[in-house]
Amino acid sequence: MSSDKKDEEMICGLTADERDLLQQELRELPDAMPPRAVWHRIREQAAAEGLIRQGPLRRPMSWHGGLGLAAAVALAAILVPVMMNAPEPVGITVPPVTNPSNTAQVNALQALMVESRHLESDLRALPDEPRVKQAGTVATISEIEDRIAAIDYQLNDPTIQMTEAEEEIFWRERVRLMKLLVSLRYAQAQRTAF
Amino acid sequence: MSKFADIQIDPAIVKRAARGDARAHEIIYRAFAAPVYSICLRFTRVPAQAEDLVQETFIEIMRSIAKFRGEAALGSWIRRIAVSKALMYLRSAWTARGQSLADDWHEVTPGDVAAHGVSSHPDVALDLDAALANLPSVSRAVVWLHDVEGFTHKEIAALMGRTESFSKSQLSRAYQRLRPMLTVPGEDVSGEGAELRGC
Repeated sequence: MSSDKKDEEMICGLTADERDLLQQELRELPDAMPPRAVWHRIREQAAAEGLIRQGPLRRPMSWHGGLGLAAAVALAAILVPVMMNAPEPVGITVPPVTNPSNTAQVNALQALMVESRHLESDLRALPDEPRVKQAGTVATISEIEDRIAAIDYQLNDPTIQMTEAEEEIFWRERVRLMKLLVSLRYAQAQRTAF
Repeated sequence: MSKFADIQIDPAIVKRAARGDARAHEIIYRAFAAPVYSICLRFTRVPAQAEDLVQETFIEIMRSIAKFRGEAALGSWIRRIAVSKALMYLRSAWTARGQSLADDWHEVTPGDVAAHGVSSHPDVALDLDAALANLPSVSRAVVWLHDVEGFTHKEIAALMGRTESFSKSQLSRAYQRLRPMLTVPGEDVSGEGAELRGC
């Protein structure tokens, strides 16, 4: 026993059980991640000081580009046939929701939103992230969370006007990423259980 | 055991970080941000200040990681930087008020615990987090460093520029404050008849 340990027992003022309980409960106090903006601030400062070198564009960026392209293609696929067959304007605007294909699209969109909510709920039901983490899994999870955050940003930005078709693309991708995230976190929880 | 010790980072990622690879630094950040933030938040109690300390800690890691030789675990190294930044904050806060990093128990009145919603009555659910937050800053830091991060009194004394006795005294006083909240199953919670270890 070190002299430090012996001395500390002389002054502790707690019974052995109380001391153990206190230490255990202190260690079990939950940790929280700092807000996402903190990492952005660190990255900006590090870049300004030349502490990091930026690699190739991060995947969320290229993914955005790809999504933008996909959205444009989808938009074109919907709009071009409509425009080609459109009669001369007569000053009457038909509400888009009356179009059967639009109704189907709204239903698909709603189904994706519901599925996304269910996945969020599944994710919340999983145990907290384990204390022992694998760096590779941490990186993948953080990448997926970033992508989901980027989608949420787009979907919630009031300055971005989206058609339902575009929204559907975003929601479909969100559901796909949520499924990935849930399966990764589930695997992580399984590993911890054993 | 400290939470830092549980986090494993592939040495290849550390090497990449040492070369300034942004992605490797992000992986390290994602892995350690929560325990670093936890220390900073326990020391400062103010989220905005804790976030600033997290930023300072990780910038320091980026500046110094090329010098990290791996003799100690990466987690221990990062923890030491975080603790150092957090203590520096405490010192600066004290310096700004013309005081030394010393005993600040006089700032806490006996009514403070109840005023912050922490009851000393054993029937009331424990709210250790609030009780901890209600301790004087230095004492709270000593409790956290000793009981959660596993520092010895000697190490705490060196970090704080104080004596071991100071560290022990702070811990003892903090325990006295926290003790009424502890309910050990099957034990007399009043402490009467309980066998005190070595006291």
